[in-house]
Amino acid sequence: MIPGVFVKARLLAALLGAFVAASAQAHHSFAMFDSNNQVRLVGKVAEYTWQNPHVYIELEARDPRDPKGKVQHWSIECANPGILNRAGWKFNMIKKGDEITIVAAPLRTREPGALLKQIKLPDGRIFGNGGPAGPPNISIEDGKPLAGAKP
Amino acid sequence: MNRALTATLLAAAFVATGCAPKQAEPTAATQPAFDPKDFSGTWDRYPLSTENSGQDPTVVPRPEPIPAPPLKPEFKAAWDAEQKKINAANAAGEPIATGYTHCIPDGMPAMMMAMFPIEVLQTPRQTTIIQEAYNQVRRIYMNDTLPAVEDAEPGFWGHSTGKWEGNDFVVETIGIKDNVRFRNAPHSAAMRIHERMRVIDKDHFENDVTVEDPEYLTGPWQWKWVYQRRPNYKMYEYVCEDNREYADPVTGKARMRINKR
Repeated sequence: MIPGVFVKARLLAALLGAFVAASAQAHHSFAMFDSNNQVRLVGKVAEYTWQNPHVYIELEARDPRDPKGKVQHWSIECANPGILNRAGWKFNMIKKGDEITIVAAPLRTREPGALLKQIKLPDGRIFGNGGPAGPPNISIEDGKPLAGAKP
Repeated sequence: MNRALTATLLAAAFVATGCAPKQAEPTAATQPAFDPKDFSGTWDRYPLSTENSGQDPTVVPRPEPIPAPPLKPEFKAAWDAEQKKINAANAAGEPIATGYTHCIPDGMPAMMMAMFPIEVLQTPRQTTIIQEAYNQVRRIYMNDTLPAVEDAEPGFWGHSTGKWEGNDFVVETIGIKDNVRFRNAPHSAAMRIHERMRVIDKDHFENDVTVEDPEYLTGPWQWKWVYQRRPNYKMYEYVCEDNREYADPVTGKARMRINKR
């Protein structure tokens, strides 16, 4: 096997292993959220609650699935302070009134709640939601599907 | 000046200046790369998927997946049915609420899976292991005598005694509450958790776990966990203050509380 192919194969194996591990290593199932049909929300932060077992962002944003597109209130579930600190977040990096963009997996019940996948802050910084929550499968810039992304 | 006084003054000068007679520099052959009895510090599970983990998942062998509990036939059918129900609920997007939904911590042995980092504190009398999630603490008393099973007050982390067998840290635990279950496996008060922990290199240790329960299991239930050092990590506090995921009182399914405006 040529070295480049070997490296790619090893990387793929590592990523695949990581995905399996991520699925198995969460404190609860994320099955209530629809990770196949992620949404991109742009809106204003109404509240940012830094606590266990989950950090929450209350967000005023339009539902991109709603043709009337009226602004509604969303509760966005994030990982916990420990995971988020390890992913580079800070307890005070979001403020009430901040305009943010997120990619999230909406509740299957169609209630206005979602699991965060990625967040873009007013200063342009982008953060994930830790390993167990899984990656985004649409772009935080334009909402278009990411090439090769899995839910 | 007599010879004895000269020696005393020279010794005092060494102490005063912090000098000591020069010893041979340790070489790679004489200097151990790690202390095989030092488990102290902060550790992640291995391999770890979380982003920015800094782990190379190929550096030591990945532990095999944990097998299903070898339950006796009279308990296995119910366990299989429960697993099927859980998997079906997840597939339907309606997961069943668990102890975590109610902010109930893992207990033993689940806390040792290190879903979140663990911290090990070693003193001659006891080894203390802290799991960041839910601020869980277990205390392993060295060379202690465990109570008889019928006298062991049940708890989440039970009663543990530890001893050294060579460089292996061998721990035995009893007294786990009936409702504290790993992988939903039922157990009796007679359940014993044996752990054999071994430092395998300067950055990793492994934990061979064997669960025995003559009432529920046909034989030992065994698996391995591996941990990687997370240097200079400061553990975060974790109080399960307000879980907005809750158990639906009618269906038992996990739901999420939406804050209304």
